[in-house]
Amino acid sequence: MPFTPVLHAEWLKIRTLRSLYGALVALFAVTTAFSAIAATDGSDDPEFDPLFTAFLGMVPGQIAAVAFGALAVSSEFTGGGLWLALAAVPQRGRWFTAKLTAIAVPVFIVGLVTGGASLAAARAGMGAAADGLTAGEQLRGALGCGVYLALMALFAAGLAALLRSGTGALSILIPFLLVVSFVIGDAAGGLTDFLPDRAGQIALHSTWDGSLGPWTGLGVTALWTAGAVVAGAWSVRRRDA
Amino acid sequence: MTSIDVRDLTKEYGTRRAVDHLTFTVEPGRVTGFLGPNGAGKSTTMRLVLGLDRPTSGTATIGGRAYATLHEPLREVGALLDAQAAHGSRTGRDHLRTLAASNRIPVRRVDEVLEETGLATAARRRVKTYSLGMRQRLGIAAALLGDPPVVLLDEPSNGLDPEGIIWIRTLLRRLADEGRTVLVSSHLMNETASFADHLVVLGRGRLLADMPMREFIHARVQPRVRVRTTEEAALRELLARHGYEAALGDGGGWIVQHARVEDIGRLASEARLPVLELAAQEGTLEQAYLDLTAAETEFTAQPQEA
Repeated sequence: MPFTPVLHAEWLKIRTLRSLYGALVALFAVTTAFSAIAATDGSDDPEFDPLFTAFLGMVPGQIAAVAFGALAVSSEFTGGGLWLALAAVPQRGRWFTAKLTAIAVPVFIVGLVTGGASLAAARAGMGAAADGLTAGEQLRGALGCGVYLALMALFAAGLAALLRSGTGALSILIPFLLVVSFVIGDAAGGLTDFLPDRAGQIALHSTWDGSLGPWTGLGVTALWTAGAVVAGAWSVRRRDA
Repeated sequence: MTSIDVRDLTKEYGTRRAVDHLTFTVEPGRVTGFLGPNGAGKSTTMRLVLGLDRPTSGTATIGGRAYATLHEPLREVGALLDAQAAHGSRTGRDHLRTLAASNRIPVRRVDEVLEETGLATAARRRVKTYSLGMRQRLGIAAALLGDPPVVLLDEPSNGLDPEGIIWIRTLLRRLADEGRTVLVSSHLMNETASFADHLVVLGRGRLLADMPMREFIHARVQPRVRVRTTEEAALRELLARHGYEAALGDGGGWIVQHARVEDIGRLASEARLPVLELAAQEGTLEQAYLDLTAAETEFTAQPQEA
């Protein structure tokens, strides 16, 4: 089967579910709003990082990206409906590739737009504190925001395919993103830098210490995502539908 | 034309053998009823034909090809396995559009099948507002979407109202008359008898019968005659003398086993018995089926061990 019609179908499936639409809107709204709020205080902090402050809204906002990825996959499993998707597209690898593409591209685009909007809102709030940001840093931040969110959405999609459950994937990822990463925080030393969210968010910082930089950090997140996607693809291909 | 060929097909789930060395062919141009008790392997066989489950051994092909190798499968095979498969938050029309898009089926066909299945007025409503019968119709619409030469329907009359049942009967007949291959599973005997030309019967995953429906009934159900007279005692004595087994029927009169109207009519005439009613009793599919599965049913009551 040619890939384009399969991709078209997967894109239609996303467009025709309001909950998925809603997740993308939430991604933009939550991230931009929280970044704008964060920008209005805290610039006295000695560890103040003007770039990350502008993207602070992405910490709660990424939940929407993760939910989008998980729900886009799990919507195929509701009511035992996977058989219908696979009856239409029996080449499961191709079907899953199209599904992942239809998840990653919109999240990346919304992520870029969100990154730009967050920066603009935060700079307005920070005033002089934002003057130190170079154009290169801002570009890297916005691009990093899009790439990071797309990778997290794919991570969730892979996990949802592996578990065959969006709820299952989200009940692992949301506590992980909101709690675990904060709690173990800096305590565990350099190793926490290699967690999927920590590594990727380096791209949103003006300064960083540790072995990972912005692009290598995103690379580490991409490896985590690749692991989840490969596991999900294995489940889709090998198991009875 | 395209046939469905099942060859030595076996599927095991753990230690349970759901389908056991099954071999049969579903021919085009007729409606094949797929019968068997719950758990006999009907749905599993259909899933194997659609490439959804991997067979433990054997093959299931459509026109000689495995389902997964079909170029645009919805244009070659239409299937309804489970009407709950449509996502409740999509509209019926959007549900069909997503299926159509992957197989490059024009959107015009979506509106045609919605019209054909009587869902045109509900097309823009969300599927979760649909009744069971409407979901069933949507499932059938999805099966017809690609105008396929092969149609597989698992319990299509589930949840349909009386008009719906007549509609599906007419539809199945028409699909077969158009030369399509039609396989329909059901556990409703009278329903199956109303549309099937041919039967494939399973029990515990094995093939119990594969023959035309008429032949299946005639082979299983002995002919019976219903006869009514004013001279009850004389008739009973006459039948007994000629070795016929007779029992009093429900609405009066006698039911004579293993008899034909010609024989009983002649006997009564020779004995000068006034006959009020004399009729052959057609065997039903239900009788034939129960006769076949009596010994085979997986869920027959087993004697309890002390």
